[in-house]
Amino acid sequence: MKKSPMKLESSQTISGVDFENYFQPGSLKEALEIKAEYGRDITIAAGTTDLFVAYYERLHTIKNWLDLSKIDELKYIKFSEKNVKIGAMTTHLALKESEELKGKFPVLQAAAADVGSPQIRSRGTIGGNIATSSPSGDLLTPLLSYQARFKLETAGKSRWAAAEEFFTGPKQNIMGPKEILTEIEVPLPKNDSSGYWIKIGRRKALVISTLNFSLVLEFNKEKISRAGLAMGSAAPTPVRLKKIEEMLVGKSLDELDHRKLGEEVKKQIAPIDDVRGTKEYREDVAFETMINALEDIESRRG
Amino acid sequence: MKKYGRGLATIMFGFGYGEGFPDHSIASIEIKEDERIVIRTAAADVGQGVITTVIQIAAEILRIKPDYFEVIQGDTHTTKNSGSTSATRQTYFTGNAVKKAAENLLANIYHYGSLEFRSNHPEINVEDGKIYMYDDPDNYITYWDLARTLDQNGKKLEAEGSFFPVTYKPDQEGQADKVYVAYTFLSQVIEVEVDTDTGMIDLLNVYTAIDLGKAINPKNVEGQIEGGTVQGLGMGMMEEQVIQDGITLNPDMSDYLVPTSVDIPKFKHYLVEDEDSEGPFGAKGVGEPTLIAAAPALANAVYDAVGIRFFELPLSPSRVKKALQEKAAEDE
Repeated sequence: MKKSPMKLESSQTISGVDFENYFQPGSLKEALEIKAEYGRDITIAAGTTDLFVAYYERLHTIKNWLDLSKIDELKYIKFSEKNVKIGAMTTHLALKESEELKGKFPVLQAAAADVGSPQIRSRGTIGGNIATSSPSGDLLTPLLSYQARFKLETAGKSRWAAAEEFFTGPKQNIMGPKEILTEIEVPLPKNDSSGYWIKIGRRKALVISTLNFSLVLEFNKEKISRAGLAMGSAAPTPVRLKKIEEMLVGKSLDELDHRKLGEEVKKQIAPIDDVRGTKEYREDVAFETMINALEDIESRRG
Repeated sequence: MKKYGRGLATIMFGFGYGEGFPDHSIASIEIKEDERIVIRTAAADVGQGVITTVIQIAAEILRIKPDYFEVIQGDTHTTKNSGSTSATRQTYFTGNAVKKAAENLLANIYHYGSLEFRSNHPEINVEDGKIYMYDDPDNYITYWDLARTLDQNGKKLEAEGSFFPVTYKPDQEGQADKVYVAYTFLSQVIEVEVDTDTGMIDLLNVYTAIDLGKAINPKNVEGQIEGGTVQGLGMGMMEEQVIQDGITLNPDMSDYLVPTSVDIPKFKHYLVEDEDSEGPFGAKGVGEPTLIAAAPALANAVYDAVGIRFFELPLSPSRVKKALQEKAAEDE
């Protein structure tokens, strides 16, 4: 099927050079077929808020496009008893505005509200954020904290990948050449929970995180029954800090040594120097943020 | 922890090319038979509002509403030199040139008007685009009538004006009677909150007092102050080209940052109208002076908040946090 019926007939030039192939299928089935045919030679557009920036003035170098924006079956937020399922083409704006997410996943919602600007939030998608796999992706830390998993589909097959096993390096992940990320599943907290989110940047909006931080604690009779701690821009991938989670579980908030945990966070991350901040800055702020997060949760649970 | 601080900076700014460099502007104004008044000037409006300014000046002198004016700007075929839109000079130089052109044109209105009434100018009044004898105000002719009459005789109702002040070259010691044509003064107080955990600075309020001689258009001046100050604060907090081995690491607006609308503080302005002797209606330039005090006032505010003097910009979170850590280590 070299000539797919979904190919657009437009001869409009972009960046002075025609795209070779631009596919904009209306169903997931069609998208998976195209992806199966082109594999790594086709670039998926799932909002393009990263892609257009990365390829600014070089868009013509992308030969084949698979634009998922018209696939409505990938845009949803569905709750069940055990979890919430989010379609990969759900925008940051939809996450931010969702009434249903409000009480249950406040950290994810706060992170969606901190992405870029209103324009970026209305174009960018959760699937795009995950598949881009930037170490600073704002939704990725909450997804790690909430222990989300991602559905990767090929034509005829699908598999699930846990968020913490998905990211393998800066802008690298485990996705195969024929796979499309289609759904995000996040388990509902079992007990009552509290969370903390902060995005550290060099200005208040439209900024790539220098550091982002999410902590979700579930409680069982004042004891922490589960902890999800993750940070972005603190290592080559967004990272879940399991060792610290273990130090939290089984304790009540007033048993925790905030400064010691802050020091431990500093040891567990591996940030770098770049234009957004120094390694030293990231470590110092990670330390302060851990303390602030615990203090904030403690004061809210009072 | 968030710490509050307040800082002040005061600047003076000599505007125009200055230092003996020849500096002038030429403008002309024509009243057309089709009820338009056309100002010709090469002064470029790059958003700062020189078009609005010169229309207001000409309308004031010519005693007519601004509605009739149009400006032909920067057309080498029809405009004469106005100098560059730089050095905070257009309101002063082109404002004066347009004012002089308008005064010369008003004189022509009186001259040709008095011929129409077969009278002389002290007995004639010019108001709201009409010319009439004081003792018979109902029997008037309009500017447009006069332009049409002149047109029939092959003449135009127009005039030109230029402003070409003497400027003085400084001597070996840098002294001269007047190195620049005039000086604008500005004081600015900035209030901030410094987050000592993250090194981030929250801009709260900016209070600006500017001696600009005369605000030809106060709203326009406020726009200049806010725009200039935000640009200065961008320099103070964000703008930084990072170069490593000759390569710019942040060659785009996603990492070379300037303030966004949510980063900017609240503003309060105080316009001091201490009229200048030579500016149009006493006005002086406001463009560049609005930028200069912002970064030093910010640095003083941060010093007030956390007790650290910074000698390098921008005050990025990394730089502020590092200094806070060093201070904490010293204090221990």
